[in-house]
Amino acid sequence: MSIREKIKKLLIVDDDIDLLEQHKMLMESKGFKVVTAESGKQGYDVFLHEKPDAAIVDLIMEESDSGFVLCHRIKRTEYGKKIPVFMLTSATYETGFKFSAATDEEKEWIKCDGIINKPVVVEELLQKLENFYSK
Amino acid sequence: MDTEKIPRVLVVDDEKGLRVGTGRLLEMEGFSVQTAENGTEGILLGTREDFDLAIIDMKMPDIDGIEVLRKIRKSKPNTVCFIATAYASYETAIEATRIGAFGYIPKPFSPEELIQQLNKGYSQRLLLLESEKLKKEREENLLELAGEKSRLNAIINAIISGVIVVNKTGEIVYFNHAAIKNLNLDELNIGDRYEEKMPQKVNDLIEEIISSEIKTQKSLAIQIEIIKPNELIAEIICTPVLHPDGSFAGVVLVIRNITEMKKIEIIKSQFISMVAHELKTPVAAVQGFLNILIDDRFNIGYEKQKEYLSRSVVRLSSLLDLVNDLLDISRMETKSKKREIEKLNVPEIIDNCIITLELEIKKKSIRIIRNTLQQECNLFADSNEITRVFTNLLSNAIKYNKDKGSISINIEENKNFIIARIEDTGIGMKPEEKDKLFQEFFRAKNENTRGISGTGLGLTIVRRIIESYHGKMEVESTYGIGTAFTIYLPKSYK
Repeated sequence: MSIREKIKKLLIVDDDIDLLEQHKMLMESKGFKVVTAESGKQGYDVFLHEKPDAAIVDLIMEESDSGFVLCHRIKRTEYGKKIPVFMLTSATYETGFKFSAATDEEKEWIKCDGIINKPVVVEELLQKLENFYSK
Repeated sequence: MDTEKIPRVLVVDDEKGLRVGTGRLLEMEGFSVQTAENGTEGILLGTREDFDLAIIDMKMPDIDGIEVLRKIRKSKPNTVCFIATAYASYETAIEATRIGAFGYIPKPFSPEELIQQLNKGYSQRLLLLESEKLKKEREENLLELAGEKSRLNAIINAIISGVIVVNKTGEIVYFNHAAIKNLNLDELNIGDRYEEKMPQKVNDLIEEIISSEIKTQKSLAIQIEIIKPNELIAEIICTPVLHPDGSFAGVVLVIRNITEMKKIEIIKSQFISMVAHELKTPVAAVQGFLNILIDDRFNIGYEKQKEYLSRSVVRLSSLLDLVNDLLDISRMETKSKKREIEKLNVPEIIDNCIITLELEIKKKSIRIIRNTLQQECNLFADSNEITRVFTNLLSNAIKYNKDKGSISINIEENKNFIIARIEDTGIGMKPEEKDKLFQEFFRAKNENTRGISGTGLGLTIVRRIIESYHGKMEVESTYGIGTAFTIYLPKSYK
């Protein structure tokens, strides 16, 4: 089964409306239905309402940890545990932020299934979604 | 006899003839003579001056010779004393010698006999003086050594860095107080094993030095977080100590408290991380738009193309603002830009700022209310810097204001300060936002601030400029009502 059959609806949450629009266009061009939100708060509401098959959440929104909080809230729900949630950020090792969500210790407190760097490379994102389902 | 010095002799005798006769005889022989006619006078002279030699008559009417001898010996132990007496007996001779007489001269004595005895006595005197001198020198040396040691101790204890010396068998043989403090130890004693007291990483270094085959004077250093998190960070430098012959003596540890330095480093690197992040985001946005524009698959219409290009321009100009702000901060930090201090009129500067911001003021239909009565409010400062302060404050008052809101500007002065207050009728701040106001890159983000652009460095720059003039800034804010900034700038800046 291809990834598009598993993920019909994708939630993207980002307070940068330019990036949000671009990512929406990119994913739509790959055949996904995309729903969006512009803050952590709104993101959770959309998540509950739309029940997306995957979520991509920007890290720094209204607060510097909004993305973390949203991931936690999503993963606390029974439904959220079943879907891939990726954190989107340009704050990574390269820019001096010391986290990767890769070590066991990090997985304890970063409740997401992986980190995606900005700007998004669609192929990389698709690969990560594939990997989630092939686990 | 010593030719350079004339031996000084005290003659104590109550018999005038003998006293004068002995005196003359001795003077002829090259002695310098003083006489005392009874025991009291003898004690007085003999204890006051350090005679080389003394001849003391045993029997005198006031005090007997043994007592005179005792007093002189006690006060001047290096005066060589002879007892002279007509009542020669074995017992008196023993007694006199016991008390410390060098010789015993029975009366009557011949001149040769006397001179011979005195010469012998004088040699003894010179020996005594020599040994006294050596003893004194030795004592002085010891004193100096002790002084040197305690001075060294005082110096090492005064050093702010910790010092610990470990001998080659691994015992702590020396340490100062700072060592205990910088390693946060409960106690440390001479003779303790280093392995039991030092952090493991330091033990490894000491072990490495002690066990290495070739001992060079190369140091090993390590930085350790003694109290987490970042409460106490120490740098420990271990250096082998070699004897002058090159053999291994032990290891000296120097322990520096580098907590403050580390904290600054952390702040710096956090700032750089934030800068990198803030620079990367607009670049990513522009890149995203351009990628869509050049990708034929998207096939977007002309209007959409124009929109994306103008949104890219907006992102690029805010990126440029950010770079300019960063350059300003960097210039302030390195003080690379020379200040041009001149007399400025604050109301005039504010008027100029308002002119440059006119477009934004009109866009939001904001009313500017000037409450200043005085036309002149002068201060001495750099025109660019003061303009920057008011531009940033006014620009915030516009950006975070409501449509058709107002900004009231109040300028007054007291003896030392120009006090400027800029009050808006904007969205205000929540208390937690106000606390973070001066953090670099902090921008209040809530339902009301969407679409407001900024670098997050504006107030950082304002604060830095004001502080560099030794002024201060106060903020009052009520969420939903408005914010007021009051700044105090010293009139004269030196």
